[in-house]
Amino acid sequence: MKRYFREISVTLALGLVLLGLAGFAPAFYQPQPLLSLATREAPTLVVACGMVLVIICRQIDISVGSQFSVCSVCAALLAARGWPLAMVVPASAALGALLGAVNGVLVAGLRLPSIVVTLATMVTLRQGLNLVRQGAFVNLPDSVQWFGLSQAAGQWTLVGAALALLVAFGLAMRHLAAGRWVYAVGTDAEAARLAGIRPQLVTFLVFVLLGALTGLAATMNLVQSPQVQPMVGAGLELKVIAAVVVGGVAISGGRGNLWGAFAGLLLLACVSPALTHLHIEAYWEKAIQGAIILLAVVADGVRQRKQKF
Amino acid sequence: MKNPLPRILLVLGLLAGLTSVSAADGKLMITMMPKAKGNAYFITCKVGADKAAKELGVELLFDGPTDSNAAKQNEIVENWITLGVDVITVAAENKEGLSTALRKAQKQGIKVITYDADALPDARSFFVNQATPQGIAWGLLDEAARLCGSEGEFAIITATLTAGNQREWLKLIDERLAAKYPKMKLVAVRPSDDLKDKAQSEATALMSANPNLKVIVAICTPGTPGAAEAVKQAGKVGQVKVIGLGLPNENKRYVHEGVTESVMLWNTSDLGYLTVYAAVALARDELKPGAKTFQAGSLGSFEIRGDNILLGQPFIFNKGNIDQFDF
Repeated sequence: MKRYFREISVTLALGLVLLGLAGFAPAFYQPQPLLSLATREAPTLVVACGMVLVIICRQIDISVGSQFSVCSVCAALLAARGWPLAMVVPASAALGALLGAVNGVLVAGLRLPSIVVTLATMVTLRQGLNLVRQGAFVNLPDSVQWFGLSQAAGQWTLVGAALALLVAFGLAMRHLAAGRWVYAVGTDAEAARLAGIRPQLVTFLVFVLLGALTGLAATMNLVQSPQVQPMVGAGLELKVIAAVVVGGVAISGGRGNLWGAFAGLLLLACVSPALTHLHIEAYWEKAIQGAIILLAVVADGVRQRKQKF
Repeated sequence: MKNPLPRILLVLGLLAGLTSVSAADGKLMITMMPKAKGNAYFITCKVGADKAAKELGVELLFDGPTDSNAAKQNEIVENWITLGVDVITVAAENKEGLSTALRKAQKQGIKVITYDADALPDARSFFVNQATPQGIAWGLLDEAARLCGSEGEFAIITATLTAGNQREWLKLIDERLAAKYPKMKLVAVRPSDDLKDKAQSEATALMSANPNLKVIVAICTPGTPGAAEAVKQAGKVGQVKVIGLGLPNENKRYVHEGVTESVMLWNTSDLGYLTVYAAVALARDELKPGAKTFQAGSLGSFEIRGDNILLGQPFIFNKGNIDQFDF
């Protein structure tokens, strides 16, 4: 109970928000808008799965938004040239993995701080994309939206896929040796090395994995509308990192899990539509999201102090 | 024979890949600088500008940074001063930064006109103003009123809550709403952060929270296709109408599907045409400070307010005409 205090408290907060909405804005609970909301958040959840691993490993990647944009535009251009989705999706994931590998090599290989490395790749990728694309939308063939299925079928497919990935990663992190290695490296890299784990390899691989998931998420977003804006994914890194931190994953590494991050994501994703339903001015949106993050960070700080003394 | 230096420099420029025009004898040399060279918006400006240059028999030199880069704009103006061009027309990325270079050009006897985005007033003779804030705000509100019969609920999707242009438009919309459309109710103003996907999420929530919503007005260009996609996915085509600022190519499909009623923007080709006409008239001393109107070829007469040449009312793209535009 005490061990999972953070996860439980986030889930409780989410429950309170949902209860409050049921009382004050029952119109929030309509199947179609809710399914739309879930579908819009599905790609974010997939990126969050990768981010949980990177942060548990005591690293951070703030270039995911730019990676997402680059993968989206490349995947869209391939789809527009007539590539079938069955090839576009792996190609986008591979491109994402490659971008992640660049971060991974710089962080794990050269031992550079990940915040600086990914800040550099974030800016480089974003500006490079602007330079090449000049902000022009990419129009997609009609067969791309919802994989050519009906809208409802496409939406359920995306939500289902994201949830399946969440469960798979959640179980793997707990039960597979590779999952435990990530915790070990994040807790104490030197101790992990003495225990026979190769910390630099694990660090490299979590960056690659996050990149691949980001590339996959880009295609999950791609199939939701008939055109892609190159700005897509701007600010995604903040959204994802916020969800992960609110969900109880310690930014200092070694602690947290995917279920908490999932609850954190849902909580933050509810803020904007909840304000619209409660007819509260949009100015509050970022303030409330900020307050939630602050609360989470303070809770972590208090807990750490208690452990020390 | 004139001083050969400009000719030599022009050849050098050609070698450096800077320009793509041939030297012309005795013709006026007009330059046009976009904020960014490959931007579809400015490419259509160039279409109109080329047409005007052909009609007037002048050379048009079109060059600019590859991305919106204020420093690069300065560099190009410096090159043009060395080249000794007759008129510089420019859409300024950075007001203050570019003005220094433009003043220098004026000192060398080069005429300067700004279009699309102004520099400081003392750094240019005229600004070709593509749309007044009032033209945009009132145009959108009047169109929304027409669609809902001047009564009922509507919502606005903006860029960010702090964006300067949008705040000014919102203020003008509020004023006109109170004065002219008392039966219309603005239920919410939601930010899209200039992201199409966020605009879509916002529009989805707006529709479920306000079941009587009749019109969504997007006052930033990414918002319009985003809102349209939301209406389409919610199955509310016809019940909730979308209008907004936008580029034709980003909205064509929704206009044809009947989701988006109309898209508003100025006619960018006309903006380029008018700019070149004004530039030539200025060089030939036909356009002087204090003028009240200006004749621009086939487009006819334009109003001049102070030192702003007004392109006029924003242009409305709808089912009938949107296919004629490709940008």
